[in-house]
Amino acid sequence: MAVPRHNYDPRRVCINPFPNISLGKHRRIIGIYLAGGLFALANWTFLDAAILSAHAHSPYGEPERPPPVHVGFVDWVPGLFSLLGMIIINLIDKDRVQGNEGFGDSRAVWRARLFLFIGFAFMAGGLAGSVCVLVLKYILNHFPEQYTYYGYANVSQNVALMLSAIVLWISQSVSTEYEYTLSI
Amino acid sequence: MHIPAVILLSFVLAVGFLLVILSCALWGNWLPLLVALTFVLAPLPNALFARCGGDDFSTEYDGSGPVDLGRFITASVVVTGFALPLVLAHSEIIAPGACAMSIAGGSLVYGTIMAYSATFKEESSDFD
Repeated sequence: MAVPRHNYDPRRVCINPFPNISLGKHRRIIGIYLAGGLFALANWTFLDAAILSAHAHSPYGEPERPPPVHVGFVDWVPGLFSLLGMIIINLIDKDRVQGNEGFGDSRAVWRARLFLFIGFAFMAGGLAGSVCVLVLKYILNHFPEQYTYYGYANVSQNVALMLSAIVLWISQSVSTEYEYTLSI
Repeated sequence: MHIPAVILLSFVLAVGFLLVILSCALWGNWLPLLVALTFVLAPLPNALFARCGGDDFSTEYDGSGPVDLGRFITASVVVTGFALPLVLAHSEIIAPGACAMSIAGGSLVYGTIMAYSATFKEESSDFD
């Protein structure tokens, strides 16, 4: 019964290996398309809430009354922060962050990492802000589900923006190596 | 061999535009026409930025900033084309039927453009 395992890896923990998905050379292209799609999906999720809010009306068969809450400027702010963070992250030279101290001056590496930190802090701030808006503006006021959807759309916008930035970063930074080393 | 393909693709393109225009005209609401515009514009960034992709000495899959930007914009425009009618139908600006018809028509138009460029890529490389 003791068949020597094919392709034995001493670091392996589980018996069944994780599926080794290898998209091959097209990984970079697929990643960038995926990032663009996620970006548009994020913004359309929020725009859906905004348009829905602008055209909100009472359910059919009930007397018309003005909706208790609208999507205001507060709802736009987390998305703007996430967008700013995404722009900052993508403006960084990726070779600098990998820490090749040999070329250039070493302070550039430090500065690049600082900018990366600022960018991710902006994105995380946007995400946290969207959760804040969801809780403070919608859930705590006990609006019906038709209106809390605005808050949930805001959170999913920021999550998708963050995913988009991460996918874009990974797909752009691992492209040149032949082996897939996930090193951010 | 190529003549039937051209005729078929042009028919599919016409059907796509027919669906989009019908989705506007049947309900008297011309907002879904934006979908056709979006899908027509979708391959444009790729086409524009493809030539910026570096010279003959760089490897094909290495990629560069402009090419990546073109792909990013293309993907977002395609998703926009699908999302726009859904959003409009969700807030009841257009009818659900118009949403479905404009999505079908838009994807036919986009698929035609993609299939055309994929089919006739070989010919253009001969004359490079």
